[in-house]
Amino acid sequence: MNDAELVNQVLNGNMKSFTFLVNRYQKLVVHITGRLIQRREELEDVSQEVFLKVYQNLGKYRNECKLSTWIATIAYNTSINYLRKFKKRDEASLDDKAILDKLTDFRPDDYETTDLHRYIREQIELLPVQYRTVITLYHLGEFSYQEIEQITGMPEGTVKNYLFRAKALLKEKLQFVVNESSLKLVKEINNEK
Amino acid sequence: MKNEELDFIMEESFRTAPDFQLPTDFATRLTLSVFRREQWKTDLREYLYLTAVLISLLAAATVTYYLIDKDIVIRFFSFITQNTLNVVFIVLMLNFILFADRVLLRLLFNRWKRAS
Repeated sequence: MNDAELVNQVLNGNMKSFTFLVNRYQKLVVHITGRLIQRREELEDVSQEVFLKVYQNLGKYRNECKLSTWIATIAYNTSINYLRKFKKRDEASLDDKAILDKLTDFRPDDYETTDLHRYIREQIELLPVQYRTVITLYHLGEFSYQEIEQITGMPEGTVKNYLFRAKALLKEKLQFVVNESSLKLVKEINNEK
Repeated sequence: MKNEELDFIMEESFRTAPDFQLPTDFATRLTLSVFRREQWKTDLREYLYLTAVLISLLAAATVTYYLIDKDIVIRFFSFITQNTLNVVFIVLMLNFILFADRVLLRLLFNRWKRAS
């Protein structure tokens, strides 16, 4: 069943279709709300609020964007409102040095090579909310820059900048795992270009 | 490790879903809760419509009787003014019975069904 049919079915009062819709988009919602609010015990309540809003406003959905983009917008706004309401908004500075200080150092003795993944995922959770949002929407939600702009209201340039900076900051913490000579080679190639 | 390898690992990590999870019956419970809310709204709307219809019928009957025989209506209103407290009590009781039948009992029954 495609999204347009699904929306019509729900609008006609078919509750089974609504369950289907929730099942289809709950991963997307939980990724956004989870990354933004970072409180597992409140995740279910916020996700429930998101889907209630989806149900109540489905009649206003006008196919101008993908249903996933529309639901992601509701999830983003609900999470941001939640953070504001309970004064849990991530007030962390977007200054690179402050962010780097917040990130934990990578200790090669504690991690196997395969655990780099775990380390990186842990560090994502320590980034400011704006960076976490764009990383989640771009890489997990697989939204385009324009769609992220629609969802968050951040200009496309800012989205790109946040993605680039988040990646650069994480990379800086991991830089020493890169073989010095290969790093030199990459730099030389880049300079030649 | 090469720089490209690190890039690859980072991309992979970004694409890996975090381990936040909702209960497996989340969708079913949510649908049930939405259904109950909608049911409550419908019941309340029905009750309000019914009350409005009854008031309109009463008003229409009063106007009709007034046109046919003024005295009946005047006597009716004088009865009301003489027994205001009793009349208000009876009207409120009847309205509460209607509310209980249309809204309250259904809501309590749904809650009882959910609890059992």
